[in-house]
Amino acid sequence: MKYIKSIFPLALAIIWTYALHNSWGTLPPLGKLMSPFHGFWVNAEAPESSELSEQNLQIPGLEKTVTVVYDEMAVPHVFAENDHDLYLAQGYLTAKDRLWQMEFQTHFAGGRISEIVGEKGMISDQFQRRMGAVYGAEKSFEGMKEDPKAAVTLQAYSDGVNAYIESLTERNYPLEYKLLNYAPEKWTPIKSALFLKNMSFVLASGTDDLKMTNILRKYGKEVAENLFPNYPFMESPIIPVGTPRDFKPVPIPESPSDFIGLGSAMKTSEKDPNIGSNNWAVSGNKTVSGLPILANDPHLTLSLPSIWYQMQLVAPGVNVYGSTMPGTPNVIVGFNKNVAWGVTNVGSDILDWYQVKFKDASKAEYWHDGKWKKTTMRIEKFKIKGKEIFVDTMFFTHHGPVVYLSHEKPFKSNIPVGHALRWIAHEKSQESTTFYKLNRAANYADYAQALTYYSAPAQNFLFASNQGDIALWVNGKFPLKSYTQGKYLLDGTDPKADWQGYIPQSHNPHAKNPARGFLSSANQSSVDPSYPYYMGWQYAPSERGRRINERLEAMSKITMDSLRGLQNDNFNIRARTLLPLLLAKLKSPAGGVYGQAANELKRWNLQNAADSQGATIFENWVSLLHEAIWADDFSADENVPMNSPSMDRTIKMIQDEPDALWWDNVKTKNKKESMAEIISGSFIASIDSLVKKHGPIGSEWAWYKHKQTGVRHLIPGMDALSRLNIPTGGGGTIVNATTTKTGPSWRMIVELSKEGRPKAHGVYPGGQSGNPGSAHYDDLIDTWAKGELRSLLYLEKPEDATGRLRKKIILTIKK
Amino acid sequence: MNNSLSFSYQLAIVLVMVVIGAISGLYLPWYALGILFGLLAYILRIPTGRAFILGLVSGFLLWAISAFWMDGQHPSSLPGRMANLFPLGGSVIGLYVVTGVLGGLTGGLWAWAGAKLRFK
Repeated sequence: MKYIKSIFPLALAIIWTYALHNSWGTLPPLGKLMSPFHGFWVNAEAPESSELSEQNLQIPGLEKTVTVVYDEMAVPHVFAENDHDLYLAQGYLTAKDRLWQMEFQTHFAGGRISEIVGEKGMISDQFQRRMGAVYGAEKSFEGMKEDPKAAVTLQAYSDGVNAYIESLTERNYPLEYKLLNYAPEKWTPIKSALFLKNMSFVLASGTDDLKMTNILRKYGKEVAENLFPNYPFMESPIIPVGTPRDFKPVPIPESPSDFIGLGSAMKTSEKDPNIGSNNWAVSGNKTVSGLPILANDPHLTLSLPSIWYQMQLVAPGVNVYGSTMPGTPNVIVGFNKNVAWGVTNVGSDILDWYQVKFKDASKAEYWHDGKWKKTTMRIEKFKIKGKEIFVDTMFFTHHGPVVYLSHEKPFKSNIPVGHALRWIAHEKSQESTTFYKLNRAANYADYAQALTYYSAPAQNFLFASNQGDIALWVNGKFPLKSYTQGKYLLDGTDPKADWQGYIPQSHNPHAKNPARGFLSSANQSSVDPSYPYYMGWQYAPSERGRRINERLEAMSKITMDSLRGLQNDNFNIRARTLLPLLLAKLKSPAGGVYGQAANELKRWNLQNAADSQGATIFENWVSLLHEAIWADDFSADENVPMNSPSMDRTIKMIQDEPDALWWDNVKTKNKKESMAEIISGSFIASIDSLVKKHGPIGSEWAWYKHKQTGVRHLIPGMDALSRLNIPTGGGGTIVNATTTKTGPSWRMIVELSKEGRPKAHGVYPGGQSGNPGSAHYDDLIDTWAKGELRSLLYLEKPEDATGRLRKKIILTIKK
Repeated sequence: MNNSLSFSYQLAIVLVMVVIGAISGLYLPWYALGILFGLLAYILRIPTGRAFILGLVSGFLLWAISAFWMDGQHPSSLPGRMANLFPLGGSVIGLYVVTGVLGGLTGGLWAWAGAKLRFK
C-alpha cells in the first residue's frame, strides 16, 4: 500500500505528460504546443526593420554561391549562376516560407490526408486516388523527366526543399505541424507532378455527364438539348469572331450510337462554379505608352497561406518575375524583360464517363467492341493515422479507372458509379517544360513553342511582348470528338464512343494581333460555333467576358491604372439585361419593406459595390428566382441529381417564353403558376429572407456584409488563422469576381518596355510568409481588398539600389 | 521529514528549478522540465508537503515569464490568434496564464513524484 502510494504521484505525472504530449481528436498536444521553448511561441517573428540586414546560410548541394535579396513585400529575388542552383534555391526559399502548405497540398492531392487527421480524411483520400490522381502524377512525371532540363529543375527544386527540411528541428517546425502534431517528410520530385496534377482537379474536374444523363432519362433528348443548349444566347467568345484560320481541319470522328445510360448517384458538394479567371492584353495602339499592357487575375479559392508565392528568378539565360506555386519550380504567371504572360482556365470537356459492363463479380473482364477484354488492377495503400493500413484495389478498363463500383457510394453527387473515367489528367505530360520555356521566352515564337508541351489543365495562355505582339492560345490537349460527344454518359462497350485522338496542337484556337487591338479571356466559350472542332458544350457564364470586351472596345489611351480599374470593375452586366425584365413583371406590395426594396432596386446603379444594398437584393432575388423556376423540375429527388438550366437559358425564357411549361411549380398540384407569379413570389421570399437575416432594410444590407468574403486557412474551420468579413464588392458574374470563398487570387498588370525594365504591379490576398506569426502572413490582404496593387520590383542585379531591399541572404555551399 | 523550510531556502529551490528548466528547454524536449524537477526534488530531498507547490511555482514562473519574454522579443499577431483559437477571447494575458499553468502543473506533478519516491 505504501509502495503504491509512493508511486501514485509518479503515475499521475507520467499520465499528465503523456496527455500533453499527444493530440486528442482536434485538441493539439498542449505541452509541446504551449511550451515557450518548443511551441507556437517560437514561431512568432518580429517585423523586420527597414535597415538592410545580411545573413549567410550554408546549403548542401549548391554548386556556386547564390545571392538572395528580399524586398519590403518579402519577395525573394534570387541570383544564381546556373539553372541547378537557381531551382535548388527556389525549392529552399519556398520551403522556408511555405513548407507546411506545400506538403499539405501534395498530401491532399495524393490522397494522404488520413495520415494526418485519421479516418475522417479517408473518403476524400480514396476519392483522390480512385480518380487517378497518383496514377496521373506518375504518368505525367515520366513525361516531365524526358526533358533533361526539366528533370534537372525538378530534382534541384526537390533537393532545395529537402535541404530546408533537414535544417529544421522540431521546435522550429511551421506552426501547423505543431497544431496537427506531425513532422514533415522528405520531398520528392513526383510531389511537384502531384501538385501540377492537382491543378486539373481544381480547375478541370467538373463533370455534369451524370446529371445530364439523369435529365435525358427523365425528360428526353429534345428537352435536354433545348434547356441545355450547346452555345449560349449571349456570348463574346475568347477568339474574336472572324479570326482567320491558319490550318486545315482534320476529319471529325463519326458519332457513337445513341445511348441512354443508367444514370443515378447521390448527393454532396462539388467543384465551386465560381472558380474562373480574367486576363486581357491590349496592343500598343490602344495604350498611352505605345507598347502592350497585359493584365491577369486567376480566380481560385481564397486561402491562407496563399496559393501563390512571388519570386524573381535570375540565372544565365533567365530573369523572370512573377507568381510561383509552392510545390513546383518556375514562375507560373509573370513576365521577363521581353514578354509577359497570364492564364485563365478553359472550360472544355476533357473528362468523360463510360458505363462499364463487367463479365462477372471478379471484374477481371469487361465487354468492349464485341469481345471480353481484360481489366488491369492497381493497388493503393492508405496509412490511416491510428489504424491499420487499408488496401484498396482499383480496376481499369482501357478508358481509365472505374472510380466507383456499382455498389459503392460516391464521394460527390456528380460522380457516377459503375463507370470508367477518361480524363486528360491521366495522360503523360510536360507542363514543367512549358513553364521553363515561358520563363525564358523572348518573343512570340518562343511562347508558341513553349505551349506545344502543355497538356492540362487547359488554359487560355495570354501573351504580350515588347516587340508589340499580343496573342492568345486556348491551349492544352483536347480530345478529338464528334459533336457533343461526352455531354452525357457514354457507352463503354461502343468503340465509337472512345476518344479518337486529339485536336492537333497547332489547330488549338488562337489569335495574334487582332484588328480590334485587344485579346481577353474570362473562361467563357473559347470560340464561336464556326470553329471546326467540338470542344465542349458548357463554359463559364459569359458576363465577365462580355463586360471586359465591351470595356476594352470602348477604352483608349489605356494605362496600367485604367486596367487596374477594369480588374476592379463591379458593374453587373447581368442586371442590365435581367433587372428591367423582372421589374416589368413584378407585382408586390407597394408599401413596407417590399416597396422600399423595389425602390432600392430601381435606384440601384447596377454596381456590385461593397456598400450597395441594391446588389444584395438583386443577387439574392436572382438566386431564389432560379430556384423557384427550376428546383421543382430538376432538384426534386436528391438521389437523382440533375443540372439546372443556366441563367443564360433562364433569361432567354423570361424574354421569349412567358408561357413555357417550366413556369408552373409541379409541386402545387391544383394550381398553374404564371411567370409573373414566380417572379413576384421569389421577390417577396427573397426580401423576407433578407429581413430575417439582416433586420430592416438599411446599412446592414450592404453587399459585402451579405456576401461575407473571407480568406480562410487551409485547415477547415481554423478561423483564428483566417481573415473573414473582408469589405469587398464584386461577385461571381462580375469582373471583380470576389465571392464568399473565391476570387482574384493574384492580380497582375505588366507594361512592357522596349529598352528599359518592364513596369509591373501586382497583389494577392495573402502574404509571402505562410507563418501566421509573421507580419507577412496576410499583409497584402488590405491592399487587395481596396483594389490597389503594389509595384513589383524587377532587378537586374542584387546590388540595384532601390531603397526597397530589407534582407540579403548569401547561400553558400555546405561541404 | 521536515516541512518547515526557510523562505530563502524555498526561494533558492525555485531559482534553481527555473534556471535548470530554462536550460533544459533550450536543448531538451518540453517534458524534460518535469523529469528534471522530479530529479531535483529527489536529490535535494524536498519535503513532499512542499514539492508540489515549489514545482508548480517554478514551472509557472518559467513558462509564463518565458512566454511573456518571447512575445516581447518577437512581437507578432500570433499570440492573439492563438488566444482566439483556444478560445480565450483573444486575451494574450490569458494565454500567458494558461502557458504558465501548463508549465506549473507539469513541474508540480513531477516534483511531487520525485519527493514521494524519496520519502516513501
